Amino acid sequence: MNIFAKTIAAACVSASILALAAAAPAQAETVLRLDEVAVGELDPAKASDYADSILMFNVYDTLVLPAQGAPGLVPHLAKSWSADGNNHIFNLRDDVKFQSGNPMSADDVVFSLQRMQELGSGLSYLFANVESVEAVDEHTVMFVLKEPYAPFVSSMLRLPIVDKKLVMENLGAGDGEMGDWGQAYLSGNAAGTGAYKVSSHNPQQETVMAKNADYFLDIQDAAPDTVRLRYGLEPATVRTLIAQGEHDISSQWLPPEVLKALSKDGAQLLTESGGGGFYVKMNTTKAPLDDMECRLALSNAFDYGSAIKMIAVTDDVSQGSPATGAIPVGMLGANPSTDDLARDMDAAKRHLEACRYNPDDFNIEISWIAEVPLEERFALLMQANFNELGIKSEIKKMPWALFAEQVSKPENTPHISQLFVNAVTGDPDTLLYGMYDSKNAGTWQSPEYLNDADVDDLLEEGRVNTDVAAREKAYKALNARLMAIAPTIYGYDRQSVFAASDRVKVPALSDPSKAFGLDGMGFSFRLMEMQDKS
Amino acid sequence: MHLPHFLRVTRIIMSPVVQLLVKRLSISIIVLIGVSMLIFTIARIIPGDPARIALGPNATAEQVANLRDKLHLDEPIYIQYAKFVSDFAHGDLGISLYTNRPVTTDIAQFLPATLELVFVAGIFMIGFGIPLGILSARYRGRVADNIIRVVSLLGVSAPSFVWAVILMLLFAFFLPLFPIAGQISDTLPVPPRITGFLLIDSLLAGDFKVFASAAHHIVLPAFALALSGIGQAARLTRANMVETYDKPYIEMAQSYGFPEKRIANRYAFRPSLIPSLTIIGLDFAAMLGNAFLVEAVYAWPGLSRYGVQVILRKDLNAIVGTVLVISATFLVVNIIVDLLIAFINPRIRYAGRS
Repeated sequence: MNIFAKTIAAACVSASILALAAAAPAQAETVLRLDEVAVGELDPAKASDYADSILMFNVYDTLVLPAQGAPGLVPHLAKSWSADGNNHIFNLRDDVKFQSGNPMSADDVVFSLQRMQELGSGLSYLFANVESVEAVDEHTVMFVLKEPYAPFVSSMLRLPIVDKKLVMENLGAGDGEMGDWGQAYLSGNAAGTGAYKVSSHNPQQETVMAKNADYFLDIQDAAPDTVRLRYGLEPATVRTLIAQGEHDISSQWLPPEVLKALSKDGAQLLTESGGGGFYVKMNTTKAPLDDMECRLALSNAFDYGSAIKMIAVTDDVSQGSPATGAIPVGMLGANPSTDDLARDMDAAKRHLEACRYNPDDFNIEISWIAEVPLEERFALLMQANFNELGIKSEIKKMPWALFAEQVSKPENTPHISQLFVNAVTGDPDTLLYGMYDSKNAGTWQSPEYLNDADVDDLLEEGRVNTDVAAREKAYKALNARLMAIAPTIYGYDRQSVFAASDRVKVPALSDPSKAFGLDGMGFSFRLMEMQDKS
Repeated sequence: MHLPHFLRVTRIIMSPVVQLLVKRLSISIIVLIGVSMLIFTIARIIPGDPARIALGPNATAEQVANLRDKLHLDEPIYIQYAKFVSDFAHGDLGISLYTNRPVTTDIAQFLPATLELVFVAGIFMIGFGIPLGILSARYRGRVADNIIRVVSLLGVSAPSFVWAVILMLLFAFFLPLFPIAGQISDTLPVPPRITGFLLIDSLLAGDFKVFASAAHHIVLPAFALALSGIGQAARLTRANMVETYDKPYIEMAQSYGFPEKRIANRYAFRPSLIPSLTIIGLDFAAMLGNAFLVEAVYAWPGLSRYGVQVILRKDLNAIVGTVLVISATFLVVNIIVDLLIAFINPRIRYAGRS
C-alpha cells in the first residue's frame, strides 16, 4: 500500500500548497460578479439577448432612457426632442465624450443608425421605417420616417451611439467603402460613451468592465469599480459560488427550486418586470381552434391560479404576476391589476357547448420548447385542465430551431404553443404588433395566425396616432378585443427573478419607484451600490 | 551522397515505425476528408434555419433571407461544400454565427483550454490509474484489490458530469478547498498569451502565483474528467497483469525469490502495458468529447463547451470547424499511441530487421 499512501499524501500536500499559494490578497476595489446565458455580444448593433442588453446599457448610451418608476422617457444623450409629422429632431448634449476621448456629435448618431440598418442584425428592424437621418448641425440630428410611427422615440432606447471616428479607424475588410463596418473590431472592443469600459471580453467566458472615470454623469462611489459578467454558468455552479461568497447576482434562468434554496440560505431576491408575458398561443387556423368558442372554452378552463403557484419562488416573490389581459399591467392600455384572470369552468363548459366541434373528435397538440423546461409543467397543467372539459390532448416537446421552422406554415404549427414575449422598447406596439397583426402571421411570435380586421385597425391606430390619450384608448380597445376573441391564453405577466448576495444593493431591481420597466436596464451598474470592499 | 549515408537514410525510411507513421497519416487525411463531408452534410440536414437562430427571434424575414444569402444556404450543398474547401485551403473556416468572430479565432482561443484540461486529466488518468492497477494485481484477491476494483467500477460506471457535480459538492460546497469557476482567480492578471496554455504561459512569464492559481483551478475539473479513465486504466492494468502473472517466466522469477515489487513493476507490468496503452490512448482522445459537461459545470472556457453551444445554435461554420479540430486531435493522439506501442513492443520495432 506504500505507493497508494504516498500518492494520496502527495496529492493532499499539493492541494494545500496550491490553495495557499493561490490565495489572493484582499482587493482595494469593489468587484461585482454576475452571470448570464452565453454568449455576450459586444457589438451593440447585434445586441438582442439579455446579456447583450446588459453590455449595451453599460458600455454604450442611448439618446433617451426609460423613466424610473413611471411610464415615459427621459433625456439622456439627447437634451430634448420634438416631432413634426414624420420628422423627429433630437438636440444632443454637448458635454459627452466617448471612452476614446472623442467628443460625441450628431455625426455619431447618424453613423450609428446607418450602421445598424446596414448590418440588419439584432433589433435593427425597429429602424426599418427610418427613411433618412441627417446631422442638422453638430448637436442636432433629424430622423425622417417613411410613415408615421408614434412610438419612434421609444425605439431610441435600442439605438446605442457608437464612436464613428474610432470605428472608421478600425474598419476591417469587406465589400464597399465601409468594409466590415467595424464588425471585427466591435466584436471584441468597445466604442461607446458608457459608464463602464471593457477591460477584456471573451464571448463564451466573461466580460470584464471597469468604471469610466470620465463619464458625463456622476457615478456614485459605491458603484462597483470592476464588473465581471460571466457567461453560461450552470445552476449548481452558481449556487456553490454564491454560497462561497464568490458570486453576487445570478441570472434569471435559475430554476425556481435553486432560487428558493438560495433565498433560504440568505440570498436576497431581486426582480425586474420588463413589460412582457407568458402567452399560450392557439393556432386559429386549425380545427377546433378556428372556432372562437372553443378557444374561449380553453381560456376559461386554464388554471391561472395554479400557474402562478408553479412559478412562485417564495411567499412574496414570484417569476410572474397574474395577467389581466393581453397587455401586461403597467403598460399603456393595460387593465388594472385588480382585474386578474381566473379560471371559470362554468363559462368554459358554456363556450364548449357553443363550439361547433365535438371535443371527442380532436386531440389537441400542446407543444413546449425543449430549451425551456418550465413549459413542460405548463403543458401538463393544460393537459389536466382541458381533460376536465373532456378535451383530449398530447404533449409534444420541440427544440426551438424546429419550432421556429414549423410555425412558418399554419398546417405545421401545433394547436398550442407556449412563448415568453416582451416589449423590447417597453411600448405595447413592440409587444403586440408582431404577435397579432395579420401581415406578421407565421413568425415565432405569431403562431396564432390571427386574421382579425378590428385587431389590425386598432394596432395601426396605436402606431400612427401620436396623441398619448388616443393611443391608450386604442390599446384598451385592442386589449378588450383580444380578450373577446381569445387567440391566446394570457398566462401571466412575466417577472425576472435574480438571487443576489448581500454585498450588493440594486435599487432598480428592488424598489419599484426606481424600476425602469425595460429588460436589462435594471443592470445599470452605475446605479448599484457595493456594500463592502472585498 | 555517400553510400553508407544513403543506406542509413533508406533504412530509416523503410523502418516499420516510419512505414507505420506514413500509413497512419495517409489514413488520417482520408478520414478527415470523410468527416468534413459527413459533418458538412449532417449540419445542414438537421432541422432549424441557422440564419433564423443566429439573428434571434426578433429578426424580420428580410434579415433572415439576407443572412441566408450571405451564407450561401440557398445554393446546392455540393456548391456550398466546394466553397468551404476553397476557403479552408486559405485557412478560412468562416464566421461563427454564435460569437460573430472568425471560427479560426474562436478555435485558437478555446482549444488550448480544453487541451490543457484533457492533458492534465490524462496525467491523472495515468498517474492514478496505472499504479492502482499494479497495486490491485499485486495484492489480487486481498482487501486492497477488492477496494480498488469497487472504486474503479464506480469510476467507470458514472459519467464525468456526475463526478463533476459530486466533486464540486464535496470539495467546494461542503469543504471549500478548490475553486469551481474559470481558469484562474478573478483577482489575478492573465499572463501574456504565448502558447495559450495557462499553466505554461504563467511559468514562461515567471508568475508563480498565477501558475499556482491555474493549477488550483484545474484540479477538480481534470479529476472529474479523469475519474472514468482512472477506473478504466486500473481495471485494464490489473486484468492484463493478472494474466501475465500466470506466465511461466513470472513463476520462474518467483521461484528464484525475486522481490515481489520487482516482479510486479518490471516483469509483470511492462508486457501488460501494451494493451492498456491502446485503451488509455483512446480514452485520452475521448476526453476531448466528454469534456463538454465538465467544462459547463466548471465554467471552463474550452472548445468542447463551445462545440455544444454551436451545435445547439446550428452554427454551421463553427460546427464543421470544431468537429474537424477534435477529429484531427483524436487522430494525432491515436498516431502517437501507435508509435508508442511500436516503440515499446520489440516485435513491431524490430519487425523489419530480419
